[in-house]
Amino acid sequence: MGPNLLLNYGEAVAAILFCIGFTNLLLQTNLIKKIIGLNIMDSAIYFFLAQKGYIAGRTAPIVTDGVTSVEAYINPIPSGLVLTGIVVSVSVTALMLSLTIRLYIRYHSLDLDEIAAQLKREGR
Amino acid sequence: MDFVCNFPFFSILLSLFSGTICSILPGKAAKVVNRLVLIAVGTMSGILLLYLLGTGESFVYWMGHFPAPWGNEIRAGVLEAGMALFFCIIMYLSMAGGAHKLFDEVEESKHNLYYILINLLLSSLLALVYTNDMFTAYVFVEINTISACGLIMIRQVGRTIEAAVRYMIMSLLGSGLLLFGLCIMYDLTGHLLMSNIKESVALLMQNGDYQIPLIVSVALMCIGLCIKSALFPFHAWLPDAYGYSTVSSAAILSSLVSKGYIFLLIKMIYRVIGFDIFNNTRIIDVLFVFGLMGMIFGSLSAIKENDIRRMIAFSSVAQIGYIYMGFGMGTQAGMVASVFHILSHAATKSLLFIAAIGLTEVSGGSRKFIDLTGSGYRNKWSGVAFTAGSLSMVGVPLFSGFISKLLFAQAAVQVEGKMLAALIVLGISTVLNAVYFMKTVIRIYATTEDAPYPCMTFKDMKPYAVVLVFFIIVNVILGVSSQPIVNMIEQGLAMFA
Amino acid sequence: MYLILLPILFPILAGFAILVFPKEPDRRLLTATAGTCLVITGALVLCTLLSASQELMLFHLTETLPIYFKIDETGITFSFLTVIVFICAGFFSFAYMKHEQNEKRYYGFYLMAFGVLNALCFAGNLITFYLFFELLTLSSFPLVLHTGSKEAIMAGLKYLFYSLCGAYASLFGIYFLYHNCDTLTFTAGGVLKASAASAEGRFFLLIAFVMILGFGVKAGMVPMHAWLPTAHPVAPAPASATLSAVIVKAGVLALIRVVYYIIGPDFLRGSWVQTAWLTLSLTTVFLGSMLAYREPVLKKRLAYSTVSQLSYILFGLAVMNKEAFTGGLLHVLAHGFIKGTLFLIAGAIIYTTGKTRVDELRGIGKEMPLTMWCYTIVSLGLIGIPPTGGFISKWYLATGGLAGDIGIFRYLGPAILLLSALLTAGYLLPLTIQGFFPGADYDYTSLHRQEPCHLMTIPIVLLTVLSVLIGLFPNIVVAYLTNFVSTLL
Repeated sequence: MGPNLLLNYGEAVAAILFCIGFTNLLLQTNLIKKIIGLNIMDSAIYFFLAQKGYIAGRTAPIVTDGVTSVEAYINPIPSGLVLTGIVVSVSVTALMLSLTIRLYIRYHSLDLDEIAAQLKREGR
Repeated sequence: MDFVCNFPFFSILLSLFSGTICSILPGKAAKVVNRLVLIAVGTMSGILLLYLLGTGESFVYWMGHFPAPWGNEIRAGVLEAGMALFFCIIMYLSMAGGAHKLFDEVEESKHNLYYILINLLLSSLLALVYTNDMFTAYVFVEINTISACGLIMIRQVGRTIEAAVRYMIMSLLGSGLLLFGLCIMYDLTGHLLMSNIKESVALLMQNGDYQIPLIVSVALMCIGLCIKSALFPFHAWLPDAYGYSTVSSAAILSSLVSKGYIFLLIKMIYRVIGFDIFNNTRIIDVLFVFGLMGMIFGSLSAIKENDIRRMIAFSSVAQIGYIYMGFGMGTQAGMVASVFHILSHAATKSLLFIAAIGLTEVSGGSRKFIDLTGSGYRNKWSGVAFTAGSLSMVGVPLFSGFISKLLFAQAAVQVEGKMLAALIVLGISTVLNAVYFMKTVIRIYATTEDAPYPCMTFKDMKPYAVVLVFFIIVNVILGVSSQPIVNMIEQGLAMFA
Repeated sequence: MYLILLPILFPILAGFAILVFPKEPDRRLLTATAGTCLVITGALVLCTLLSASQELMLFHLTETLPIYFKIDETGITFSFLTVIVFICAGFFSFAYMKHEQNEKRYYGFYLMAFGVLNALCFAGNLITFYLFFELLTLSSFPLVLHTGSKEAIMAGLKYLFYSLCGAYASLFGIYFLYHNCDTLTFTAGGVLKASAASAEGRFFLLIAFVMILGFGVKAGMVPMHAWLPTAHPVAPAPASATLSAVIVKAGVLALIRVVYYIIGPDFLRGSWVQTAWLTLSLTTVFLGSMLAYREPVLKKRLAYSTVSQLSYILFGLAVMNKEAFTGGLLHVLAHGFIKGTLFLIAGAIIYTTGKTRVDELRGIGKEMPLTMWCYTIVSLGLIGIPPTGGFISKWYLATGGLAGDIGIFRYLGPAILLLSALLTAGYLLPLTIQGFFPGADYDYTSLHRQEPCHLMTIPIVLLTVLSVLIGLFPNIVVAYLTNFVSTLL
């Protein structure tokens, strides 16, 4: 276990970051902090992917100086996945933020528990 | 390759683009476009289903002519085509049943937005059903989440926004886990296409390499999808989301959106991990236990509920529990029962939501049971439809619910060790279902001296009544001639392998 | 060939048509329609019973679960009782239901329950039977909660939950039987695979016990009898007459079907299940009578009496020999006619005087002599005094019990039956005595004749006559029953 963990420190860091993000998203009551947690979580995954796709000593898969050998470049698919993931995460974050604004305008609070309490008082 | 093989791709694209087109159309035109798209996609899925039944084998469709390990693929078998057809039917009926209510619930200027979301939802559901690529599945899971969230919050009251936020949070947790599991899987196998992953996984299992990361990855994906489909301990967002959104949204969310994720899970079990490998893990025991707990606690919460919409929503938690219990049995029969229950629950739950709105309409818009007293007389069609749905839920013969319970029980009998637990919980849950559904039925047929609300007659609500009749017919068809459907499910599952 | 469907579908569809009829129809039109439908259904049942086509495979629910109808002697016995009681009680309700609301719903569900009961009698396999067993619960429970008072609704719910729980317990058994029987078609002697019975005998005994308990709910067997005394008094009198005379007999029919046609009496004979079943049924016989004895409300007293009398039948089934089984079937008929009459009489009393408690009914015999004479005659029948029907059935039950190979129950059984007969006399006859002999201090001047109308008295008299006829000329029935019982056991 120990040596493996040290060898794969990149994955370990990604997993720890993911857990931090996950717990924040789950347990924070403040909506903004939740969204930050979401972004940490997503970034952890992108870090994981990017780290997986990187091969030491090679460059990004953009043809430079006419070198077309596969040996010269890193695997482009994880990078592509990261890009797609970022698009998704940006749109989701935007949606969450807009919802947060709606709630704030209505209830003047960012605390989800407090909003729930207010809703209960309204009784509908 | 026959022309018919293009149909899955066409249906996804058609619904996706019609969503975009709806954004520039006025509400009425958007509605027409939506209906036409649903009919077109339904027809295409129907033709595809017939074609597949004829050929008897599934096919893989290359997107953009890139072959296997690089390109993106669509795959269609009997089960996929059948699901797509069924989703279209239920969605059409739900939309038609809630259409007259939409004017009260959503501002007129936002109607076209509503239809955009519905079209997007349809396209993402179809993509989840047809795709053969895990990452594509993830992307469409997110699209599904976003459009579902939009469907919840399009009715602008405090409750729905709060529900949408809660829904988003839980969904994002789920999709985060799914994505992380997916990435680990990609890391282990080097593939994103389902069939290629399966080969690599089989190889890994054979050599005994990377067992722990593999199980972790599978577990992460499973939990992610469980959260998204509101399996028992993760159901906190559900009652508000289903209870306060527009009626069509509630019907679609409960009957289709959660089922899309469950269908993806089934695909994953068969096409990514391999049925036998999955059944050898401890994960199925966990699913089984949570399924059973969901069946009981969902019903208990429903009994305590005083609001008809929330009660139906809580009953969904119980029904999702049934489906996961079927997965947890780890047999082919259990899986068939679960898939059948997906159909049966979708047909019944949307019927209940649509019927409930008719009852609340003639009770001054209140959903409290006390106000619903006697509403079955004021709106006879809704009353009859609600009763039919309730009977199906309780599992009375001739309705779809009975068949799924029968299939579950038959599956349970074959599984040593889980038999007794499954049967006993099935029994308790049936009785609990009977408690709250029959209570409601009696309530809506109780006589009251003073009914200050107007009655609804057939003339006031022709399309609505027709929709209810169709819903009941779907339910009875599932309940009476279940054998061809069960055969189809078996054939479809066989094609998965 | 499809003739067998007519007596099932016609009343169900007619009832449905009445239910969905948009507005509350004229009362005379309604009763005329319902009456015609009842008579037509009765005729259809008779035609079916006499016709040559005796079975029908309708369709397959799933590949291995056919919906299948077949007429056999057991079914004929029960459907004979059903038709007579339903028609009599139906005509009685045309008069009785005047003082209730919402008659349309009542007749609709009444007809539906009739059709479902016919289907139950004709069901040819366990799945079909179970299907209609559930439908029977559903179609009869609107009858229980008809008045719509809070008490009635609670009673209806209680009825529903007891029945559903019972049915589910039985379904639990059906799941297992399904895998271990060659077919679920009712076959004399049982269809349980010999290999399964010998390999997992103890397990299947447990299954049999669960099913007996489950279907026993409907037949009011202890410990699940509590719904009966709650549901009967709140239902309109003709509905309680059918409930008590026929619908609870569906539980008896279910037990006959399961024990004698699916599991097989040979498998159960001498096992702990038989002992437990005998114990439970005898307990119920005694307990029911005791509870009836101390119950002041007439309809409730009759309901407890039903609990007790039904277990006479169950005792006959549990002994598992020819005499006792014949006695059980005879008691199905006798008790059906007698208890139907008693509930109709209770209804007539409530309708004319509005009194429900036995102690309020002093001098009732002077006011309603014909009704009370009928009451007296059928009471004697229920106690088991010759020459009424009850005597014959109890005779067979007792001799069957004595001849049975059931250990201590050989003596205990008949003894308890006798004791219970005494108690029956104790709870039924006081009404006769008070009714006809109110005592010296009674003020006779306040009495006035108030015999109910003919629509009420004729069904009562008819059923009374039938219950006496069974006792006077039992040979036809007994010969018929022994004939077929000897093929069964």
